[in-house]
Amino acid sequence: MEKSLFFSNSKHTNKYFLENKDVHHFHAHHHIHLINMQNPNQKPHHENSSRSQSPKYEEPVSDAKWAPRLLRECATAISNMDSTKIHHLLWMLNELASPYGDCNQKLAFYFLQALFCKATDTGLRCYKTLTSAAEKSKSFDSSRKLILKFQEVSPWTTFGHVASNGAILEALDGETKLHIIDISNTFCTQWPTLLEALATRNDETPHLKLTVVVTESISVKSVMKEVAQRMEKFARLMGVPFEFNVISGLNHLNELTKESLNIQEEEALAVNCIGALRKVEVEERGGVIRMLKSLNPKVVTIVEHEADFSSTRNDFVKCFEECLRFYTLYFEMLDESFPTTSNERLVIERECSKSIVKVLACDNEIGEGDGERRERGNQWSERLRECFSPFPLNDDAVDDVKALIKRYKAGWSLVLPQENQEPPGIYLTWGEEPVVWASAWKPHEKSLDVAT
Amino acid sequence: MLQSPINTYTNNPSSSSSSSMSSKRSLVEEDPVITKRPRNFSEGEEQEVVRVDDADSIGLRLLGLLLQCAECVATENLGEAGNLLPEIAELSSPYGSSAERVAAYFAEALSARIISCHLRFYSPLNLKSLTLTHSQKLFTALQSYNTISPLIKFSHYTANQAIYQALEGEDHVHVIDLDIMQGLQWPGLFQILTSRPKKLHSFKITGIGSSMELLESTGRRLTEFANSFGLPFEFKPVEGKIGNITDLSQLGVKVGETTVVNWMHHCLYDITGSDLGTFRLLTLLRPKLITTVEQDLGHGGNFLGRFVEALHYYSALFDALGDGLSEESVERHMVEQQLFGSEIRNIVAVGGPKRTGEVPVERWGDELKRVGFLPVSLSGTPAAQASLLLGMFPRGYTLVEENGCLKLGWKDLSLLTASAWQPCD
Repeated sequence: MEKSLFFSNSKHTNKYFLENKDVHHFHAHHHIHLINMQNPNQKPHHENSSRSQSPKYEEPVSDAKWAPRLLRECATAISNMDSTKIHHLLWMLNELASPYGDCNQKLAFYFLQALFCKATDTGLRCYKTLTSAAEKSKSFDSSRKLILKFQEVSPWTTFGHVASNGAILEALDGETKLHIIDISNTFCTQWPTLLEALATRNDETPHLKLTVVVTESISVKSVMKEVAQRMEKFARLMGVPFEFNVISGLNHLNELTKESLNIQEEEALAVNCIGALRKVEVEERGGVIRMLKSLNPKVVTIVEHEADFSSTRNDFVKCFEECLRFYTLYFEMLDESFPTTSNERLVIERECSKSIVKVLACDNEIGEGDGERRERGNQWSERLRECFSPFPLNDDAVDDVKALIKRYKAGWSLVLPQENQEPPGIYLTWGEEPVVWASAWKPHEKSLDVAT
Repeated sequence: MLQSPINTYTNNPSSSSSSSMSSKRSLVEEDPVITKRPRNFSEGEEQEVVRVDDADSIGLRLLGLLLQCAECVATENLGEAGNLLPEIAELSSPYGSSAERVAAYFAEALSARIISCHLRFYSPLNLKSLTLTHSQKLFTALQSYNTISPLIKFSHYTANQAIYQALEGEDHVHVIDLDIMQGLQWPGLFQILTSRPKKLHSFKITGIGSSMELLESTGRRLTEFANSFGLPFEFKPVEGKIGNITDLSQLGVKVGETTVVNWMHHCLYDITGSDLGTFRLLTLLRPKLITTVEQDLGHGGNFLGRFVEALHYYSALFDALGDGLSEESVERHMVEQQLFGSEIRNIVAVGGPKRTGEVPVERWGDELKRVGFLPVSLSGTPAAQASLLLGMFPRGYTLVEENGCLKLGWKDLSLLTASAWQPCD
């Protein structure tokens, strides 16, 4: 029997392989295709590049984080309008990228797409094509399966749900007529646990009205019909008096009113915003927060990703860096949470690619659909404080979150607010990095008139 | 901002219009070979994500879209090609049925090609500047491939048997492996050589490769194995491309030794540099035997022709691989992503792994005939052995003998041709 040869695990050193002149000739022959090639001795530590006519970077792609490095260089080149460098880096990234490889390769692929769109000014078109293709293949079953699988392997989404439910239950404790406005796109996966809590907590089970505000495209409407049926069935099972409504087709969240949401005087109101605020155009965020105040809720729960694509939106490189930082974390998290051959993870990655293109390559197109300009907890806090004060999570809620995180693979943990430190709310961390921020708010005691 | 000419960015609606689909249908109908293919595409298992269409119709749709996209690329209609890709991507997945998997890698390759068309630059990244990790990943994938599919074993066993037969009566042996990689082929030869009644006086392997570090590692392994068999072994690493070797002394060729040249072809990277240079070397060497295994895949012709042929070829390969393993198989995924995906990319995105400006060789066997070599028949022991080998793998592999060559195929498509050659003296 043939024994197989195993590769020796010799430590890799940053050796630059000597190029013999024949190889130089080979490469030089092909650079007749290139336009505007200058001798790019830009990197001082190139050992053998002085003889080369080509921008062939000898610097081997040898570090574990080659993708972020090359991507950053490319973004800088685009910002500096350095055509030669842009060409070369796009080419290198194109050679190395793959949507089906390791994390480096995936990041390279999806960010390359965005950089390419940026350099060729085709971002909006690309975004539209990606979106319409995704729409075609979506179905209730597939979307639901996806969300459930994600919740199974990672606390990324369930963290916010558990925290928010805790705040809502506390704020509405003792009330008999509850009305929750749900501005999220989670197919109501948050609510069964809450319904169960309502059913088992008190002797008197309160009446729950759930109004879901759908901000995504029209095709989600048909999906919501299925969701409605399931929710109503579950509520019956739990013995909770239940009413379900859907509001869709909104252009702007700040158009919502008490009337359009059918908020009754005797109802105790909670507004639940999971990843909702980042979809609002930056200029309209203040207005949306004021709108929330005008609904007179008992509590508003806000859950957002911890990233800032907003304050940097006029500085391409800074915005790029932040985008890369966040999605590197996200992709690495996805890689470690899902099995290798997971179709669900693939779909999530493709969804990210749309956001990446939108943030990086569509900056002149405002109001063209889902914005994805995330802000960090402290930025949202600043905005919210105009109308709201923090509603701290009680111990029970915190315990629930801790218990949740324990159910998952190692790497996740919880960061609680320090005394008198901004911002309020709690953080989910992945590998020491804060990734999701969950907070609860109540309206100021006196109504503040906003005088700018 | 980019210097490269931005081609027509028409305002086509993003969904593929039905009119272009029907024009695609005529392409499918005209070519009888293509219409046969959908059957392979339909070998889809139950998909995890529920779809409205069934596996058959998805396969057909994917085929149509891929051909449409390739046509756009061939006619430099890059905008429309780019529009089609997201749709193809959504229907395909490297973790689905074999049709979905093939489509995923071809779509990826088309995407890479569209970008390089814009950049107007097609030369591939030199393998040397990739990480050691990447090369290791490649070789791990090759080892997996060796386990789950008979193609590598077929190549190695057939060549080794022919070499063994040619070395009858010879005592000083020098094998020149034109693309040694990690030398997976040779332990098998060591074994059958030690079963010879007459021991070898000397046995040398010269291995050509792209990285001295990898070559030296291969050398160490081979030396260890050879010593364990008690063979008088020597290893010589040669870094570089075959076509650049002009002097036999570079290969350590000595008088009095019997030389055998071994060459296993693939599309992972370019090893020849110059095909003409390679011919010159082979003629200069005039080895007692040349053993070679080639993929039955054309490297010449226009883009669209190459694309269609490659699509058939890899559909068969993915089918073959899919037959034995589940959709969740990580091992199979690594083989497909590291190996097939890279080859497909080279063929589609870069126009074949060679870009020396020369017209690429279609069949090395045919060319060898022209420069004074004759075929050595592989019927007999090599054929019998190959037959036995295939019996150990899932049914569907075929073995055909043609003009002394052995052809391994999957169902009705030939995948590999093994042949052996000697100088006509």
